[in-house]
Amino acid sequence: MMNRRKFFGLSAAALALAVAPVTSLRAVDFRTTKPKAWEAEKSVDAIKEMFGSAGLKKSDKIKMKAPDLAENGGSIPITLTSKLDIETIALFQDANPRAATVVFSVPEGQKVDYSFRIKMRQTAVITIVAKTRDGQLLTTAKEVDVSIGGCGG
Amino acid sequence: MAKMKIKAKVKNGKVKVKAMFRSLMADKEEAEKKQVPVEYISRIVATVNDKIVFEASTSGFMSENPLLKFTFTGAKKGDKLVFTLTDHTGKTKTGKKKIK
Repeated sequence: MMNRRKFFGLSAAALALAVAPVTSLRAVDFRTTKPKAWEAEKSVDAIKEMFGSAGLKKSDKIKMKAPDLAENGGSIPITLTSKLDIETIALFQDANPRAATVVFSVPEGQKVDYSFRIKMRQTAVITIVAKTRDGQLLTTAKEVDVSIGGCGG
Repeated sequence: MAKMKIKAKVKNGKVKVKAMFRSLMADKEEAEKKQVPVEYISRIVATVNDKIVFEASTSGFMSENPLLKFTFTGAKKGDKLVFTLTDHTGKTKTGKKKIK
């Protein structure tokens, strides 16, 4: 038999649960929703975990600026720009123990214009995968030569 | 945890942001090699007026003391840009800066 006090306690808990997701900024945390993608060693596997196995289309609408030759593998400047309406854009590389490096979720109405630096311990291909708001998967890639490895190598 | 430096400026309706966070950004393997504790930022979120304008999930393969540059629209001079960082243990830290 459920008494009055217990009933109120339960409904309060249910209410708290229902309210919680709204207050947490309604954003996707890719570290918790796709934990497997962050553990994958190869770009191909990481991309599959992150975006599913749908076909990737090469596109020149996603622009990546990266050096051809990086003197310091500990700090490789990357710039990503695109005029398309993109939902998610991610960077993968094969140089490090795990491929996933960074995933940006682009808020609605904003355009991709991100600059940042990454580490690479050896020469490898950087792959960018972008998901547009209408569900297309676009990709672009570039090989970066690393003369001195990052990651303490 | 991480200290941060933030710069934000409006120009032609676009807000240009430069942000630097102090973090070793060392994942397991690197921490072992360099004999430092594992420490990296796993998530960076920026909001203006409670609206998300920038969001990234990161791994230990971003460079040490990551420097980010990005632009966004939909904010004006005097608005507050709030950064929330989450590190690998789940601890969070926030930093604020007025947009110039």
